[in-house]
Amino acid sequence: MTRYNFWFFISLVIALIVALPILTVFFSFFSETSNYFNVLKNTFLFEYINNSLIILISVLIITFFIGVTSAYFVSFYDFPFSNFFSWALILAFAIPGYIFAFSIIAFFENYGTAYTILTNLFGEYNYNPLIPKFDSLVGSIIAISFSLFPYVFVLTRSSFLYQSNNYIEVGQNLGLSEKETFYKIILPSARPAIIAGLALVAMECLSDFGTVSFFSVNTLTTGIYNSWLSFDDLNTANQISFILLIFILLLFSLEIYSRREAKYHQPTRGFKPINKIKLTGKKSLIPFTFCFLIFFVSFIFPVSQMIFWTFKFPKYFQDIDILKINLNTLYLVGLASLCLVAISLLINFGSRISKSKILNYLTNFSISGYAIPGVILAVAFITFFSNLSDLITNNFNVGSTKHLFIGSISGLILAYFVRFFSLSFNGIKSSYEKINNSIDESAYLLGYSKVKTFSKIHVPYLKNNIILIIVLISLEIIKELPITMILRPFNFETFATQAYVYASQDLLEAAALPSLFLISWATILILFSSKYILSPKN
Amino acid sequence: MSKNFFEIRNGHFLASEKNKVNNVNLKIEKQGDIVTLLGPSGVGKTTILRTIAGLQKINSGEIYLKNKIISSENFHLEPEKRNIALSFQDNSLFPNYKVIDNINFGKKRSNGNGFEIKASHIIKLLHIEAILEKYPHQISAGEAQRVSLARSIMSKPDLLLLDEPFSNIDQSLKDEIQYSVKNLLKKISLTTILVTHDSFEAFSLADKCGVILNQELKQFDVPYSVHHEPNSLEVAKFLNRGVFVEVEVIETDCAVHSLKHSVLGEIRGKLVNNFPVGSKVKLLLQPEDLIHDDQSKLKLEVIDRKFRGTNFIYTLKTIHDEQIPVFVHSHHIHQHEKNEKFGIKTPIFIDHLVCF
Repeated sequence: MTRYNFWFFISLVIALIVALPILTVFFSFFSETSNYFNVLKNTFLFEYINNSLIILISVLIITFFIGVTSAYFVSFYDFPFSNFFSWALILAFAIPGYIFAFSIIAFFENYGTAYTILTNLFGEYNYNPLIPKFDSLVGSIIAISFSLFPYVFVLTRSSFLYQSNNYIEVGQNLGLSEKETFYKIILPSARPAIIAGLALVAMECLSDFGTVSFFSVNTLTTGIYNSWLSFDDLNTANQISFILLIFILLLFSLEIYSRREAKYHQPTRGFKPINKIKLTGKKSLIPFTFCFLIFFVSFIFPVSQMIFWTFKFPKYFQDIDILKINLNTLYLVGLASLCLVAISLLINFGSRISKSKILNYLTNFSISGYAIPGVILAVAFITFFSNLSDLITNNFNVGSTKHLFIGSISGLILAYFVRFFSLSFNGIKSSYEKINNSIDESAYLLGYSKVKTFSKIHVPYLKNNIILIIVLISLEIIKELPITMILRPFNFETFATQAYVYASQDLLEAAALPSLFLISWATILILFSSKYILSPKN
Repeated sequence: MSKNFFEIRNGHFLASEKNKVNNVNLKIEKQGDIVTLLGPSGVGKTTILRTIAGLQKINSGEIYLKNKIISSENFHLEPEKRNIALSFQDNSLFPNYKVIDNINFGKKRSNGNGFEIKASHIIKLLHIEAILEKYPHQISAGEAQRVSLARSIMSKPDLLLLDEPFSNIDQSLKDEIQYSVKNLLKKISLTTILVTHDSFEAFSLADKCGVILNQELKQFDVPYSVHHEPNSLEVAKFLNRGVFVEVEVIETDCAVHSLKHSVLGEIRGKLVNNFPVGSKVKLLLQPEDLIHDDQSKLKLEVIDRKFRGTNFIYTLKTIHDEQIPVFVHSHHIHQHEKNEKFGIKTPIFIDHLVCF
């Protein structure tokens, strides 16, 4: 078989598409600088970086504390509801940072939910001065932390859980106390997993747009968005993107490195599960209270806030065409997962039957998309297609082709594709690699062609995996805000954009209904995939 | 055109630089014959099977099946079109299908040599009735091998290739299964090439047996000949049947040939290869060739004794430091300790005198 065959070209095209945003940002950085960037450099840029870093560091500290502590409690102790908490805490994944932010404001604002509760309990009084108000920076930090801590929780928990009891027993046998065992054996071996979790938190935190933009905090992401929207300056937007990308790519490599490390800490043979310590009475109070508080704040609080408002202001049931938004979401999710899964399967199959090394490098390259923040991706997308359109218009006698990809469903799907290709490609690959090569050969020898082997052996085997990938893609797309917001067609709303648009117009009560729908869908999808999320591999 | 059922002509097989087999010429004249290929691990036996099956291309030479060329330097028939079944050494069952579905996977194929066979018959023969509803990951390696064998036979191939098919099967079950599989293959007249490193397995199953050593097919013959008349020093050494001693050829004209060894004296028998009188050659001495006789005047010193269940193997030493193994039935009335003298019946008579 030749080295440059059909499969090679397909993979090359996919790799190029996925690399588009990075390449665009890279080239823009070295192209001419508009005036605005100079102004920015002298004034706001340092504020952007400063705010981004303050949020990042605070979020890392909080998620580390919440994530590791709760993971420790549910992995090593048996207390009332400990099994419930071990999966319920991941429900926080269903609440995007911006919805958590809506809830904070809704609860603590003047005459907000807290005020109503106090009035109902203690009668009329001006409680407003008594209710604490959050600084917008603090609010962002809390909202982002509670929406991202599950990354640390999930990875740390699986590392604790799959730590063989043998090591702990050896430690005790060598005379270590319970405390020493934790600090000298358990924590060090979970370190790579914790770092990987924190790296993910950091990437997501730097990528966050909804929360900081709602709180009007100037960070790198809002800076990108504003220079595009308010100043119509794509170059500047891309230049800020470049700075942000450097941070992100550093974290991305840290995450990959830590995951590799984490593999060495996984026992293969002689695995014995941990004996959980049973806690009753007073002793169980600390872990129970801790986990309950986290669960309450991260999930119950925003959900009940949204429910409360949805029913307090029922008029929005009529104002918002919720059925249409459901259909829109379904449409996007369906189309995107179809493209992603089909192409991931195709590329995986191609690299399997052509066994080419170049193909492997190419596909590895195309997975970088996931690390790129949605805002950067969307702005880079617009930059690329505007330039392309201008190029075509100038050279050929055709009108603007911008609208083919900007403000259109096809553009939106393409952007989702870039962002989620690694998720779907790697998900399918990991499962595909478990099919032994001699299984394919057996099928050939039993008279099955390559295509028939694919449809009769591979696809049935990968079926569950494909469903799971679709669930995860759907979860991501439902929560996705900046890409959808920037690239969607005019008046095309998803739960996320509808909620955000209302919220940014100070119509928080109207944002409740789409938010509640978003949370419900996300919760269902999380429950569906919880077994996978909680497994040791992820 | 080849007149044989199957033929490899000047085949060069290449898996990697080290793992190759050159210049293979092998014929299976009639349908239903069983051929075994014997050789040490890593010699390229599996490469040959994979090439015959079409999973790899042949480096040079030709392969014919039923008078049609299936592989040559310029032609390669895709594996799914060859109607050749290969039962892999490792587990290659489809993980998402039950055992019974795996077995029936190739059943729908219409081609084949027309033999009629029922799945239930094979299942009973291979003792896999109890695991039919299980999935491949729930069964043992030995069971997986038998299922894979059943699947290959059920696909009614023209040619069945088996790669170490009994390697993971318990010793107690192995003999029975080898016996019944051989009978089945003969009954349905399914031509088979089996690869193994176990010479007992190779000899007991085969109509013809090939020995692959040092990148070559050294000998291809009926098992009896391979065993008794190895055609080269390498084959004899690989089969590990005995030792070589220096002898001189004395007499080759009569029906009974005669050799002379400096200590053992005259050795009679029939020379497998021709040598002129007076030439110095190496004679293969196998443990069963010498007969113990306490009355004999020819006595040698015992330097080792191994108990092998039905017999002892004594190792004797000549004054020229040659070490000679001798079988003695373990019911023999008395045993000889180390350093004792041990008598050997003279004159020595060996049916096949294998000399090089």
